Amino acid sequence: MHYILQPNNYNLSDPGSIPNLFIAHLKLLGIVMLISLIIAIPIGILVARYRQLYFPVVSISGLLYTIPSLAAFAFLIPITGFGSSTTAIIPLVIYNQLVLIRNTATGINGIDPLLIEVGRAMGMKPLQILFRITLPLALPVIVAGVRIATVTTVGIAALASFIGLTTLGDLIFQNLAVYDLDAIAGGAILIAAFAILADLLLLAVQIGLSRGRSALSVA
Amino acid sequence: MAIIAFHEITKQFPGTSKPAVDAVTFEVREGSTCMLVGTSGSGKTTLLRMVNRLIEPTSGQIFIDGKNILEENRILLRRRIGYVIQQVGLFPHMNIGENVRVTAEIAGGWTKERMAQRVDELLELVGLPPKEYRKRFPRQLSGGQQQRVGLARALATDPAILLMDEPFGALDAITRARMQDELLRIQQNVRKTILFVSHDIEEAFKLGDQIAVMHDGKLQQLGTPVELLANPANDYVRKLVGADSILRQIEYLPVTDALDRRPEAVSSAHWGDLSTCSSNATLLEAMLILIETNAPALTVQDKDTQEPLGYITLASINQEITRTRSHETTPEESKI
Repeated sequence: MHYILQPNNYNLSDPGSIPNLFIAHLKLLGIVMLISLIIAIPIGILVARYRQLYFPVVSISGLLYTIPSLAAFAFLIPITGFGSSTTAIIPLVIYNQLVLIRNTATGINGIDPLLIEVGRAMGMKPLQILFRITLPLALPVIVAGVRIATVTTVGIAALASFIGLTTLGDLIFQNLAVYDLDAIAGGAILIAAFAILADLLLLAVQIGLSRGRSALSVA
Repeated sequence: MAIIAFHEITKQFPGTSKPAVDAVTFEVREGSTCMLVGTSGSGKTTLLRMVNRLIEPTSGQIFIDGKNILEENRILLRRRIGYVIQQVGLFPHMNIGENVRVTAEIAGGWTKERMAQRVDELLELVGLPPKEYRKRFPRQLSGGQQQRVGLARALATDPAILLMDEPFGALDAITRARMQDELLRIQQNVRKTILFVSHDIEEAFKLGDQIAVMHDGKLQQLGTPVELLANPANDYVRKLVGADSILRQIEYLPVTDALDRRPEAVSSAHWGDLSTCSSNATLLEAMLILIETNAPALTVQDKDTQEPLGYITLASINQEITRTRSHETTPEESKI
């Protein structure tokens, strides 16, 4: 706790200070989540519509999910380079696919088909049905998936310090050699607090998106 | 305003041996309510859903105002037709105002102000004060209130045609009766061409200008409630409309069919001034006056000119009922 409370660890001009590590960690998280969603949501919509695709897609993303992160980093270093953010982003994006694709498809398949038919009967085009009915109704379930993916990504992103990136993980890895337990514990607490905070923030988003319905059913 | 005309319309679903709708031809008059009645599996809902092309017919044509809708753009066609279903199907993520507005938004051509005004107008029309209900969500409303919103949503773009698929079927008896009265009141103002599927013959008699009886995919008879009661085309129609039930007959048959026009039927000298009833009364109303006044006869007056047309007595009512019941074939059937 001593490390977290020391004012000189919050010196903004020091690139290794807590705020700067946090910002670097947040940036990595942001990029990873953005790319993950851009890939996963269209795939999720696709496998919800063409259900025969669901099983192969979820199986493959489940298989990829089992690759240990350090192994994936090590495998990518010769290709994308040590210290390159791409080396961290690729595995993190891949890990997120399973939960994001599955939740998108589950959210869409859980919609009462009657509502889609009502949309058709009032003359909605397929894209109007997608954006006015399907996605708004599936969004709380999709965001529930985003919460799990975010918490996982915050944790695994800390390991990217091991391959030369700047994250809150630095507090752990750089103090391992000198065995500064205070700093290591500080890093662990900060990473955990980050994950919990992100989760709560997204829970608020999820509740906000559940307007008109019971938000707790997917919490 | 619009006329819906079915011409030899047939629908056979793949993998079935018999068509669900079999060469049905009839016309729904402009601004009138046509009730499609029949048991489940009679093809009435299939017929309804072909009008907004949720189901495509196998053969035949459907015309709206003389235009073959099967050659029209499906999306644009649906935007011109209101659709109300038993399960209502309000969007749970939209509040009541948004649920009504969405139809107009999809149809396009409405300014924001006009839409907001229209939403309030419609909520007022269906008996939900907009100030109180606009911001609520569907799950905060009772079944009856939800169906009111369903009706408002269908009317949002002021379509000439309303398709209603057992809209009150899931409501309790009291709410259902109230909604039927509301629909009659609203229809007086809006004069839509309504095609209404029902399996409840009471509802059909109450709401329908015309009733189309469906059975086994075929149209059995099309007629006004009175026509169906007085002259059922076949035994199926007779049983369905309850043409054998005295109560149903006196409730709907008009007094004008049971008039005794012989001047000697009643000697007014003996009985003083007779009570009167209007020519558009039913036999039941006439009977109630007879019972109330304890007189042997009633004078029926023309509803417009007040001219006396003839007399109603218990004997003349009996004669009329006996006449319509004389079509009965076997005693077996009269039990139903």
